[in-house]
Amino acid sequence: MENYLANLGVLICVYSILAITLNFIMGYAGIFSLAHAVFFGFGAYTGGFIALNYTSSIFVTLPAAMIVAAVLSLLLAIPTLRVRGEYFVAASLGLQILAVTLFSEWKWFTGGIGGLVGIPPVSIFGTEIFRPTSFVIVTLVALVVTIAIFHLLVHSNFGRSLRAIRDSESAAAAFGKNVPVIKTVSLAISAALAGMVGALYASYLAFINVESFMLDTSVLIMAMVIIGGTGTQLGPIVGAIVLLSLPSAITYLNFLPQSEIGAIQQIIYGAGMALLMLFRPGGIVGSGGK
Amino acid sequence: MTMTETHTPENTHEDKEVLMELAGLGRSFGGVKAVDDVSMKLRAGIVTTLVGPNGAGKTTLFNLITGQLARDTGHITWLGRRIDRIRPHEAARLGMVRSFQDLRLFEKMTVEENIMTTFERSSLPRITTPAKRAERRAFIDRILERCALTDKRDTRASDLAYAERKFLSLARIIAAQGRLWLLDEPASGLDPQSYNRLLGIIREEVQTGVTVCIIEHNLDIVVGISDRIAFLDRGKLLADDTPQVVLNDPKLASIYFGER
Repeated sequence: MENYLANLGVLICVYSILAITLNFIMGYAGIFSLAHAVFFGFGAYTGGFIALNYTSSIFVTLPAAMIVAAVLSLLLAIPTLRVRGEYFVAASLGLQILAVTLFSEWKWFTGGIGGLVGIPPVSIFGTEIFRPTSFVIVTLVALVVTIAIFHLLVHSNFGRSLRAIRDSESAAAAFGKNVPVIKTVSLAISAALAGMVGALYASYLAFINVESFMLDTSVLIMAMVIIGGTGTQLGPIVGAIVLLSLPSAITYLNFLPQSEIGAIQQIIYGAGMALLMLFRPGGIVGSGGK
Repeated sequence: MTMTETHTPENTHEDKEVLMELAGLGRSFGGVKAVDDVSMKLRAGIVTTLVGPNGAGKTTLFNLITGQLARDTGHITWLGRRIDRIRPHEAARLGMVRSFQDLRLFEKMTVEENIMTTFERSSLPRITTPAKRAERRAFIDRILERCALTDKRDTRASDLAYAERKFLSLARIIAAQGRLWLLDEPASGLDPQSYNRLLGIIREEVQTGVTVCIIEHNLDIVVGISDRIAFLDRGKLLADDTPQVVLNDPKLASIYFGER
């Protein structure tokens, strides 16, 4: 039971970080990306690859994963940030589909469909951390650091520029904001931290394959942001907690036919999301929206 | 001081430094010349009003100057230096700031955040010292006071009343500390008290050396504020002279009032 809860805690921290990083570009820069799992995935494969072949030190795997994810985000940003919202969504969807193919075919780096197996646990100053009860501390620290980074960013002049761009791109530019550069930098920061948590995730599970980084993961992260409250600081975390706890909570409802639990979950998700958007479009934490 | 001191008929303002020169500026949309071979000089500390019927190309001219639109012909000189293919944020950094007819406020941000955003030159995060912060606070306080927005400091832009929104648009421009203000119908829909405040602010800024170019339909305001009037019709600049000359030209009056 202790391990079960710790494992849930790890997943909540991991997905909270993913939701926070996506919320940063969705809620503050107005960039709707359906490719967030790609950055998560590249971070995971990079971290896993390095841990398998070179070193599992967190001080190598995490920075490497961050750099790879950030550089990759530039590939998405440079051609597509010149276009507006809905085109970016389409472009990011394209990247997501492309990446899934790459993850399943690029055997040397990703292990192909079979994935990377036997990734060594995270090592901090030579101490290996693999038990869920200890690893949850690592992810909690990562979560706190992520929250702090984005809190500072959002309330800095960089954050104000971002929000100004979200509200009126042309006015922001007319007051000296270099819109493409600011959007690109925010995307790179967001991707880097998604990549970082990917590396943590890979070493925690010791096994990763393409199934963790497909479109449904991107959609799940986006759902966490929207349900929790886009553009709020607490929202993404609340969204992650709700969406990750619901499945376990539902399994405890004994009167439900256990064989149909999967379908019931989907119905509750779908109905819940539709009702939330109807009655509280700003999300659980949001101000109700307009 | 009053504006009439500078309103002698023979004053052609040629003693003032040329801040910006437009030479043969043109732009077409699908065969229609929205701006057609416009050449004019904007001199430092001078208020020029752009007048003309709807669709004369006034806003398009602003868009060409600030790089929101690419021009087909002509060029622009800023302080004697040619600026070609300028992008909007680069124009702003040179000191050209503009307002929009539809305001384009940063709607989900507070009044203070709107002002701070245009005040900040750089988007790089930086540590501000308490002294700097106090200085910035005082600067913003003063702008809020001049625009009668002091008690709206923490209100979201989207929650403001009409006149307050117009003044927030102006407050952003003051905060940007530009050398050239391009104002697109700043007075439209304002009550007399608000518009006197607007004229007061513009006069104060002109005193400090700001050059202003205003698009305006209300002739009272045109007369009340202009050192020069530039008359546009169907993309062409028909006149650019002192108010006395332009307003007494019967041909321009007939175009303006639609008696073609």
